Amino acid sequence: MRSYLLRISCLFLLLVQLSWAGSQDQADTHEFQLRNGLKLIVREDHRAPTVAHMVWYRAGSMDEINGRTGVAHVLEHMMFKGTNKVKSGEFSRLVAAVGGRENAFTSRDYTAYFQQVEKSKLDEVIKLEADRMSNLNFDDAEFLKEIQVVMEERRLRTEDNPSSLLNESLMATAYMSSPYRHPVVGWMNDLQNMKASDARDWYRAWYKPNNATVVITGDVDAKKVLVTVEKYYGAVAAQELPARKPQVEPPQKGMKQVQIKAPADSAQLAMAWKVPRLEPGKLDDPEPYALELLTAVLDGYDNARLNRTLVKQEKVVNDVGVGYDMVSRGPELFLISATMAKGKTVTQAQASIRKALDDLKQKGILESELKRIKVRILSDQIYKRDSIFGQAMEIGSTEMAGFSWKDIDYMLEKMQTITPEQVQAVAKKYLIDEGLTIATLDPQARKAVGKEGQ
Amino acid sequence: MRALKQCIVLILLSLGLVTSASAILPIEKLETYKGAKAYLVQTKALPMVDIEVSIDAGDRYDPAGKSGLADMTAGLMNYGVRGDKGLLSEAQIADEIADLGANIGLTVGGERAILRIRTLSRKDLRDRAVQLAATMLTAPTYDANIVAREKQRTITGLLEAETKPEYVLDRRFKKMVYGSYPLGDAPSAKSVATITTADLRQFHKQFYRGDRMIVSIVGDVDAAQANEIVQALLKKIPQSGPTIAQLPDFQRSSVEPLAQREVQIPFDAQQAHIAMGMTAVARNNPDYFPLLVGNYVLGGGGFVSRLMSEVREKRGLAYSVFSYFAPGKETGIFQAGLQTKSNQGALAFEVLSNTIAQFIADGPTVSELGAAKANLINGYPLRIDNNRKLLDNVSSIAWNELPLDTMETWTKQVEAVTLEQVTVAFQKYLAMDRMRIVVLGAQNK
Repeated sequence: MRSYLLRISCLFLLLVQLSWAGSQDQADTHEFQLRNGLKLIVREDHRAPTVAHMVWYRAGSMDEINGRTGVAHVLEHMMFKGTNKVKSGEFSRLVAAVGGRENAFTSRDYTAYFQQVEKSKLDEVIKLEADRMSNLNFDDAEFLKEIQVVMEERRLRTEDNPSSLLNESLMATAYMSSPYRHPVVGWMNDLQNMKASDARDWYRAWYKPNNATVVITGDVDAKKVLVTVEKYYGAVAAQELPARKPQVEPPQKGMKQVQIKAPADSAQLAMAWKVPRLEPGKLDDPEPYALELLTAVLDGYDNARLNRTLVKQEKVVNDVGVGYDMVSRGPELFLISATMAKGKTVTQAQASIRKALDDLKQKGILESELKRIKVRILSDQIYKRDSIFGQAMEIGSTEMAGFSWKDIDYMLEKMQTITPEQVQAVAKKYLIDEGLTIATLDPQARKAVGKEGQ
Repeated sequence: MRALKQCIVLILLSLGLVTSASAILPIEKLETYKGAKAYLVQTKALPMVDIEVSIDAGDRYDPAGKSGLADMTAGLMNYGVRGDKGLLSEAQIADEIADLGANIGLTVGGERAILRIRTLSRKDLRDRAVQLAATMLTAPTYDANIVAREKQRTITGLLEAETKPEYVLDRRFKKMVYGSYPLGDAPSAKSVATITTADLRQFHKQFYRGDRMIVSIVGDVDAAQANEIVQALLKKIPQSGPTIAQLPDFQRSSVEPLAQREVQIPFDAQQAHIAMGMTAVARNNPDYFPLLVGNYVLGGGGFVSRLMSEVREKRGLAYSVFSYFAPGKETGIFQAGLQTKSNQGALAFEVLSNTIAQFIADGPTVSELGAAKANLINGYPLRIDNNRKLLDNVSSIAWNELPLDTMETWTKQVEAVTLEQVTVAFQKYLAMDRMRIVVLGAQNK
């Protein structure tokens, strides 16, 4: 009884703190739109004299077309290869000179570039980033070297990584027509046949201010930032973007399976169900929130259902994880993946996963389980504010999926209203075989290739 | 009216809306308790606190043949404890951590085991998180069934790791670099299989005591509250215990003929993996800053290092190429490496090796030195701009017994580094005829 009361009071206190954190976000965050369509979002956070500057282009691998998979990511690499004013490699040298940390990343939904600097250096990195928004100019020789680097990246992260191979096949099997079926890094053959002109075409099509969102977080004054952003990014003209075809995945009509053989010791299993995502303009749809909470009930902490039953009690798998992200541009999967315990088969693991899911579908979940998850979500809202870069990431990725940063707090509030019955309902409705894809890794001994030598 | 204004300022301060100047926050030394030193950096902007306990109980104390014991001793502390009110199961511990909205994690490195707590700073929540962590630190049960289960999981994980090029490379490289120093022995299925419940209890009893611990705290607590946290954490920890046998000296990698210090591991994979390095310096070495600045030029400076330029930018041979010093309190190594298409292994190795050799021989240019110093100095605020990073700094300063004003003097120490110091330091600590080399999976056509 005592602990029950304590839990209630924890939740209450956390709610108070969350509403504080929420109103802070609204007060400290400012949104502007330049005349050329570029969106600017500034969050002031004055705890330390540093700033994160990111530009997000709404062009990811889902915008690629057949034969050119990987071009979004290749262009990301080429963005460091020179403009009309800044020669190849010079961008990184200039950022380094002001003490900056920088990088870039490409996803299915977007491509983003960032620098983290001491606050007095912000103008310099804005100037550099704005320059390469419209003046990129690399030569073919640079492209030919860099495409080799990208192929090395694919070898490192995918070809020699059985988990990545499994995931790649899972996506290519689960989706028939959605561009989500292609890996972000691209298929090797497409990389081998890519031309510098493919990357240039991509750049000319998508790298426009009206397809970009600049996110700046840290120790800045929003009004002063706006002046600088207008000065540099404002000079670029808007341009009509290519038409985006919806490419909506047709409904799945039965279970799919795929098997991968690769060098490994343990078998792996991935089960992925087609589930809805949160749609912009439909923030009150309870199902995506319920799916997020279902993820956490199954895998959100050390004693969550799947870890408890499969790893600790039945000892059928060595590790298990659940993935779902309700905020994305493309279709979503509810993914359960596991590595087998010694001597256990994927059939046994699959049976155990199904049993745990059936139990949840039939008996529902406990109010206390859900409360535990909600507390966790609330406390994470405080912890996430420790990182200004993390805040810029959250704002940018939410915007790229078609939402506003202002929706983030609303989503979190909405999450708190979901009931155990709603969580049970999405499990029953969506975790069914019609929408299921199963991928298994069949481990192979690595081919012996001679003896060790000194 | 004035009182009201003060009140408003106080409220704003408490909400973090008004901040003081951006001076570097001081490290306060707290009361030593049970022989454990403790340090605090107060940051009031967010209602949270990060707490770390470093325990001098790292992998290097693994007894011969029982590699993995230190890891498992720490890793099982949250899988069952004997608290004031009786036993707490692993499930109860996990539920309590979740209910508090706290994170409690354990990691073990070569030198130290680390317990980290992140909690909201409200006293009731914080107290319970600290209480739970204290029980984990003091009285883990090492239940036989759980030990058996976790041993099996660890062994399964190791067998999987042994199929991965990066793991096979790293294990062999560490063996060659550390030699007879205990960090040369990585856990194996065999060594983990020999670990018993009695070993775990014994290791815990031997090493988890106040005089081998340091507490670092960053966040929304004052010194009095921080002292309370330290005392609550260590209340039931013994202050001291029996003498622990001295470790062998950490020795400089010896000069050897190439055949004695290079190994080729055949491996059927798309890429060859290459590692090269030797033992180097501890963090408190007076040449730490020249080596830090020099390595930025050689292979530490992200996209602008010499290795990145020679291997990736000019030749497109690798996605990742790097070099670093990993200095600890008493140990430290230098390591460089890359991965490349398997039939380019020999070529990439040559470029890596030549670039390092040339840097040791000639040092950086004047402009490279200037660029390195500019980056490190201008970028220093990024190393200390949130609670998590501050905790990393405080913890490193405390563990390595550095001066408490290290964060304030850091940029001055970088500024003072000269070209000659870098060249001399690299020649003093690194030498090509001492480098250990592992090349895995190269297919020479």
